[in-house]
Amino acid sequence: MVGKDCVAIACDLRLGLQALTVSNNFPKIFQYGDVLLGLTGLATDVATVSDLFRYKVNMYRLREERNIAPSTFANLVSSSLYERRFGPYFVSPVVAGLDQKTGKPFICGFDSIGCIDFAKDFIVSGTATEQLFGMCESLWEPDMVRLDLDFRTLFPPGIFFYMMILLKNGQLNHDVECSTIMHIICTSDLNFTNASYQSTFATGFDEFFANNLNLLDDLQCPEDLFETISQALLNAVDRDALSGWGAHVYIIEKDKVTKRLLKGRQD
Amino acid sequence: MPGFDFSNYNRNAALHARGVPLPKATSTGTTIVGCIFDGGVVIAADTRATSGPIVADKNCEKLHYIAPQIWCAGAGTAADTEFTTSLISSQLELHSLSTDRKPRVVTCMTMLKQHLFRYQGHIGAYLVVAGVDPTGTHLFTVHAHGSTDKLPYVTMGSGSLAAMSVFETQWKGSLTEQDAVNLCSEAIQAGIFNDLGSGSNVDVAIITKDKTTLKRNHIKPNERSKKLKSYAFERGTTAVLKEKIITKKELGRFVDIEEVEPEGEKMDVDT
Amino acid sequence: MADRYSFSLTTFSPSGKLVQIEYALNAVNQGVTALGIKGKPTKPLAQADAHANFLPTATNGIVLATEKKASSPLQDPTSLSKISLVTPNIGMVYAGMGPDYRVLVDKARKVSHTNYKRIYNEYPPTRILVQDVARVMQDATQSGGVRPYGVSLLIAGWDEGVLSDEELEKLQAGETSSDDDEDEDEDGNKKKASGKTGGILRGGPMLYQVDPSGSYFPWKATAIGKSATSAKTFLEKRYTEGLELEDAVHIALLTLKEHIEGEMSGDTIEIGIVGPPAHHLLGMEGVEGAQGPRFRKLTPHEIEDYLTNL
Repeated sequence: MVGKDCVAIACDLRLGLQALTVSNNFPKIFQYGDVLLGLTGLATDVATVSDLFRYKVNMYRLREERNIAPSTFANLVSSSLYERRFGPYFVSPVVAGLDQKTGKPFICGFDSIGCIDFAKDFIVSGTATEQLFGMCESLWEPDMVRLDLDFRTLFPPGIFFYMMILLKNGQLNHDVECSTIMHIICTSDLNFTNASYQSTFATGFDEFFANNLNLLDDLQCPEDLFETISQALLNAVDRDALSGWGAHVYIIEKDKVTKRLLKGRQD
Repeated sequence: MPGFDFSNYNRNAALHARGVPLPKATSTGTTIVGCIFDGGVVIAADTRATSGPIVADKNCEKLHYIAPQIWCAGAGTAADTEFTTSLISSQLELHSLSTDRKPRVVTCMTMLKQHLFRYQGHIGAYLVVAGVDPTGTHLFTVHAHGSTDKLPYVTMGSGSLAAMSVFETQWKGSLTEQDAVNLCSEAIQAGIFNDLGSGSNVDVAIITKDKTTLKRNHIKPNERSKKLKSYAFERGTTAVLKEKIITKKELGRFVDIEEVEPEGEKMDVDT
Repeated sequence: MADRYSFSLTTFSPSGKLVQIEYALNAVNQGVTALGIKGKPTKPLAQADAHANFLPTATNGIVLATEKKASSPLQDPTSLSKISLVTPNIGMVYAGMGPDYRVLVDKARKVSHTNYKRIYNEYPPTRILVQDVARVMQDATQSGGVRPYGVSLLIAGWDEGVLSDEELEKLQAGETSSDDDEDEDEDGNKKKASGKTGGILRGGPMLYQVDPSGSYFPWKATAIGKSATSAKTFLEKRYTEGLELEDAVHIALLTLKEHIEGEMSGDTIEIGIVGPPAHHLLGMEGVEGAQGPRFRKLTPHEIEDYLTNL
């Protein structure tokens, strides 16, 4: 799942033989340097394919003296799977990473014969695919930032309310800010119909806003992405008998990868 | 391509016989069309990819690059259209370099049909091949079994009937570029709205003797409306049992870091 | 069956030499001189590039040049081509045996697709291609029934690089030699010259020489063929760091002029450059991520222009 300057990838931990649960600690995400690969499907193929790509990525690193880029890795996965077009591995991989050069988030998914699905929002795979599609379609938003309510204190109260009014009237067009601040409007129960703010703060607003754009950068976007992906996964697998039993979530940022173990139902 | 690897074939057949379901391949349900106009050719496609009844990709690319002035629209098994076109594109590029000539559309079409015929329809690529070369403007369709057609306007994919109805009622000889783009867009939209396998946006490629113009998402008739309310969860909603932060510096440059669970029983070395 | 009874022509002499390789080098040293120089493009080129890619830094380039010699005035010169494009960003030239070169060009183009593009959906970086070509040449020194290729190659290419701008700066700061790498632009602002000095990591231009033995070397400027030694001495005198691509072409022509036997004209000289992406050669628009080829051959007309300014 894509966030603002970060990506996340998550998996459940169940290993099952149809209705029989064999293990509740079978992670399906594999890290190859900067790139993460998620594999769902037949467990024997998950193991084989993850080893195969570890080999291929290590060979790439030795040959080219650099880490493989997420997009390059995606094409490697694609061509490797298509080579077995008529005898495929039973896996549907998901790739997540940040572009080394630009830091731009990259995610994509594959079918078992290597057709790439480039998405700008989220990729789902596995037995809970349908549930996950529903969860992600409703929870995912571009540039995932859910502002804490104390964000209001960052702006002088008048400026803040004026922004609200402009946004509500559709007069503010700063792309990123617009979507983020919309959150506040939506999540707070304040009444912004007081038009008197408009005249009072109209003059100082633009200048103030231009000088304080960086305030938004301080917000911890990965945190919000984490909540979204975790809730999407947990709630989806709760409605899939074949998935669940805890989950791993990786949040990939420019300088670090955070891995979390989630508390999930064990039934 | 050195060829396919069949080593899993028998295993998969055995698994399937024991009731393991075969994985679903992504298919481009698809409406694709092409139409010749005075001075060039237009091809267009919808952007929906499906996996059974599920929309797998809402904005995929079905117009494939073969050469700067030869493009393909693909329907059928998504992976097959993608890889068949890129293989032929690669072969045609090498051919063009070694002959020092621009690649021809007939060459491309012939290579495609020979490749597909060799695989007897098992490679499920249904293609509209269009382009302009030194011999003129060309438009072909290639079916997965290797048969080809040469027509002034063509449609393929599950939405081909809807699209063809537009061509059959509105097509006329000697179209202008704009007319052709509009006609193709109309045909694709007929597919988008009347065929369940097709949907989302219209992609168009206009090929003339000077250049190709790709218009990705030329028409977006199905934009999702903005959510009025946010369903984002408060921070701290999710219960976390364990957290580990791996910084970039810790990641070795040439080795894999594999996590070793800190707890668990230690192996007895001696007893 | 055939390879069971065949044997390598290149077997060690008791003194530890592979004489076949030395003979191959002799063939190279009788070949027409070819040369390559790394430089960077002039202002208008650099600006065009910066505009196209939103790259704030200057862009470097390479010149490959050679003489196109017709053995008889009856020969049709248009059919002859000694500088070849391998991938859109990589080109090469040779000294030695023409037929061997053509085979190598075909193989180089082919391996760039089979070993790389069909796997990663991108063209190989220069060093990877050079290694692949060098492997083909090395194979010929150890296989049965074949002889070494009688050519040396100059392979020039451009790599996009994978480091972010900050990482590049950090890398540069760590180098003591980068102190004199500063440019003064029109506004008088001190501007760091591009850190793109080549290689897979940093990106930028790379110039390699590959020999019949299969060994390869990176160069700032070099020459191969008949007058390689004197041409290299000439280049050593003329070469400076941060050479403009335009000047590099001039130096290339001056170097050729010293050693050329016939007349210099657009038809007798061949020049290939690695420079900013040539969008006019792309032939399409609206395609995300598509870039014109960085390697292109100069037309006889363009070469004439350079010659008149010599």
